[in-house]
Amino acid sequence: MRGLRGSRAAGTTRVVRGSRFRPGALVRALLVLLYLGFLLLPLYWVAVTSIKPQEDLLADPPVWWPREPTGLHYSTALNAFRGWTGLENSLLIASATTVLAVVIGTAAAYSMARYGTGGKHLAFWFLSQRIMPPIAIIIPVFLLYARYTNEWIGVSLVDTHLGLILLYTVFAMPFTVWMMFTYFRQMPVELEEAALVDGCTRVQALRKVAWPLAAPGIVSAAAFAFILSWTEFIFALVLTRTQAVTLPVVLSGIITNFQGNQYGEASALTMVSLIPALAIGILIQRHLVRGLTLGAVRG
Amino acid sequence: MSVLTETLRERRVRPVSLWVDRHLRWLLVSPAVLIIVLLTIFPLVFSLWVVFVQFDFSVSNEHPWVGLDNFRTVWEDPVWVHSLWVTGVIATIAVLVELGLGFALALAMLRPFRGRRVLMVLFVIPLFISPVIVGGFFDLFLRRPFGPANWLLGGLLGHPVSIDFTIDGLWPWASLVLADAWQWTPFMFVILLAGLSAIPDELYEATEIDGARPRQSFFFVTLPLLTPIVLVAVTFRFIDATKLFDIIYSLTRGGPGTSTYTSSYYLYQQGFQFFHLGQGTAGAWMFTIILTFVSFWLVRRMLRPVEG
Repeated sequence: MRGLRGSRAAGTTRVVRGSRFRPGALVRALLVLLYLGFLLLPLYWVAVTSIKPQEDLLADPPVWWPREPTGLHYSTALNAFRGWTGLENSLLIASATTVLAVVIGTAAAYSMARYGTGGKHLAFWFLSQRIMPPIAIIIPVFLLYARYTNEWIGVSLVDTHLGLILLYTVFAMPFTVWMMFTYFRQMPVELEEAALVDGCTRVQALRKVAWPLAAPGIVSAAAFAFILSWTEFIFALVLTRTQAVTLPVVLSGIITNFQGNQYGEASALTMVSLIPALAIGILIQRHLVRGLTLGAVRG
Repeated sequence: MSVLTETLRERRVRPVSLWVDRHLRWLLVSPAVLIIVLLTIFPLVFSLWVVFVQFDFSVSNEHPWVGLDNFRTVWEDPVWVHSLWVTGVIATIAVLVELGLGFALALAMLRPFRGRRVLMVLFVIPLFISPVIVGGFFDLFLRRPFGPANWLLGGLLGHPVSIDFTIDGLWPWASLVLADAWQWTPFMFVILLAGLSAIPDELYEATEIDGARPRQSFFFVTLPLLTPIVLVAVTFRFIDATKLFDIIYSLTRGGPGTSTYTSSYYLYQQGFQFFHLGQGTAGAWMFTIILTFVSFWLVRRMLRPVEG
């Protein structure tokens, strides 16, 4: 914003007289700092609540730093409040979803980008899945999982890992397909053509040329699929009971039961759940924009 | 692409892999299509039967045909109609707040300065947190009396305040918008920042040479060039904002009373608290149809300049 920045901006010059300091910069710094405060305050509060001893939790005025920090809430949350179960399930379900969604999605995207399969219609059909509200799917899926899969194929999918993995894969599909679709379309086709001329089959051209070349795109698509299933809530809430509960479900159980005064445990488990998501989020920062807009805007 | 098609002729390959190669494009695309058909299209078709029968776990296992009764019951429920308004209003306000804040922030972060990289990492953190947990954050922060919100507000105003942020007056709405904005402002921010950085410097130099004021170059260069990207961001965000459920679940729980029920929250309550599955499904169909119309309208109207 060259235009907004100059000290020549009319009417703002009087703020700082005679110095090299730019008033525009001051406004910007102020904005950034205020936003930073808004961002970090709730985060800090959760972090500090997770290490407060019980008597500090309800103190008035609020305790901003406990005199005796404790790690007790972490062990209670993980052991007594099924935190480990949630963590294991979340990791398993998110990982399996990631693999499935990336393999299936990349394959479809490749076919669409290189062979024009299904034309524009198929691509937009995948995109339209993004509009679908989860609440519209979850009632019939619940009925099918609870009643009919048992009659038809002999397995009830309620409260199973498989049930959630399948559903999450479907909901990650618009992301992986579109991210990879736009990625393949930007990728030069000549290398694959050369491989074919050199005697590769199409499968080999895909496996040995296209797939490795698309690796950076695949990594960011995978990260999106992981985060999508790591943070998903409503499907897991409806479809799990005890066996396949994910971390958000375990957490919501503690949060909505605050009468029991388990603020420390809830905060501790929240902190635990942030770690993998943040690690992955920071890794894919450069691909963020592409993923958020399904490839419509390049970062 | 046509180059790829004819290269295999006259090469001796095993018949199986030849077959695979010939049908590769369909083999590649079919798992994706199949899983979507199985888990969204089929359930939707199945639910077309559910809406016309009595499907209520609490009553019986028989499913007598009831025609349009499910639709009528939902439509005559004032909470449902109210929830549609709540959904629209909260989504609109939240998206506008996020757009304004995200845009201001993108302008502020455009030029390089010391510490910018660290700030960029910090700013996008909320995007990676489960919305139900964000609701939990704000519940913890705003809750009376031991959350620090009242205490901080009291300090700012100079006299003690005691507001119940999930019950009093318009505060529940403000809290929901605040929590949603906390989570999704970074979404607007990163997209708009990408858009702003893509505007070439030469354009600004040219307008400067032509004697344009900074304000003029903002209105005649920045805004027109940024509009398509703003529209993409708003479209995506608005579609997602109308599905608001998680934050409601952990922050206001639809309260006080039913005043902050969004459509998704209402349908969840109908379906999984009362087990009125027929009515829940009927409502879900209404909601999906409304949402599809709004989405297509938005996409057609807003994405047109992008394609053009």
